[in-house]
Amino acid sequence: MDGTHDLGGKQGFGPIQVQHEYLAFEHYWEGRMWALAQTTRNPHLTIDWFRHLVECLEPQAYLTMPYFEKWAMAHLAGLTMSEVFTTAQIIEGTCNKTNERPPDATLEDVLVSARNKSRTFQLKSTIAPAFKTGDIVHTLSHGKRGHTRLPGYMRARQGKILSHHGAHSFADEGAKGLEMAQHLYTVVFSARELWGNEASKIDTVSAELWESYLVSA
Amino acid sequence: MANFDSDEAAKIHRHLHAHMPSDPALRIKALESLAVEHGMVSPKTLDAWVEAYSEHIGPKRGALVVAKAWLEPEFKTHLLKDAASAIAVIGYEGHATGDLKAVENSENSHNLVVCTLCSCYPFGLLGISPPWYRSAAYRARVVREPRKVLTEFGVNVPASVAVHVWDSTAELRYLVIPQRPAGTDNWSQEALAAIVTRNSMIGTDRDLSLETV
Repeated sequence: MDGTHDLGGKQGFGPIQVQHEYLAFEHYWEGRMWALAQTTRNPHLTIDWFRHLVECLEPQAYLTMPYFEKWAMAHLAGLTMSEVFTTAQIIEGTCNKTNERPPDATLEDVLVSARNKSRTFQLKSTIAPAFKTGDIVHTLSHGKRGHTRLPGYMRARQGKILSHHGAHSFADEGAKGLEMAQHLYTVVFSARELWGNEASKIDTVSAELWESYLVSA
Repeated sequence: MANFDSDEAAKIHRHLHAHMPSDPALRIKALESLAVEHGMVSPKTLDAWVEAYSEHIGPKRGALVVAKAWLEPEFKTHLLKDAASAIAVIGYEGHATGDLKAVENSENSHNLVVCTLCSCYPFGLLGISPPWYRSAAYRARVVREPRKVLTEFGVNVPASVAVHVWDSTAELRYLVIPQRPAGTDNWSQEALAAIVTRNSMIGTDRDLSLETV
């Protein structure tokens, strides 16, 4: 979707609020949200559907809401659409249930679970890739409804296939709860192709793009 | 059953945003209360997850990987070829590192990572992302004016050094391998890891100081 989330290249933002040191959570509620996201299971919540739920926030809310609050709103909207909670229960802050809780996990348990979260999104495909490393490609010139991962600033541009990653779970379908394999490539663009002569002649910007975002040059 | 409809999601968002208390602490408390009442999770388990990412999983992991790559050519080759399997050798695999690419800085090139569409980050290797990484300003600006953004981090990249920006639009995550600074011969892996800054592994730091971070 042509949403506010598609920020690459937008102008008017001020300087970066630089931080050098590591601080996992600035606020208590940030840590709680992170932990909830790691543990609260919603069977329909693929990574892509979660991202799309964040994108569906109203533009002004998207730009002003703290990061982890956006996560909360995405989870709550997703749980509503999966009919786990109603909006009335969410606004009230209780579902009036006292279901049995799963056992408490210790730090050691959690460190094992955290390690087990590693997964590849690569999938087997019987379809041959349309492009190979070094091929010149063009990107699609238009956006589409729903979730998609071709950034606006990379549309209708010419790039080069830097590498092929095999087939990966296609985000556009993942956001509809489906798993579909599609070839994925890292495509490199010269900065001048994207931004004109204001950019350095030697700089590049690359992104991972699925095959259906690309056409032969 | 979820219908994955964008308009319905937007409608629910508008309703909840208008009617829930505006404080993010209260909104997240509401989600926690509902999840606990529903039997999805126990509060003590949530405490353990917070502790894991506050004290155990963080950028020290990435720094140790970089130091190991500086010291062991075979490990570095493995890391550059298949970073996901290389970090698993030392037990550092985790959230959002199952598809991972290591990119190496040199005298002639500098690498810089962003996610313009959301805020994708290799959490299992670098911990929770810094607030600036998720900011609209960084996401918007760094693909268009990377050199200007870098000066705000105190990094001046000479015009002759190419800046390569990696916008992580799919599930591939990036780890920047900064250059090993001169004057660190015979340093141990632990001593080397101590000078690798978090920002250098994202690309917003370049010339590492010999002072321990």
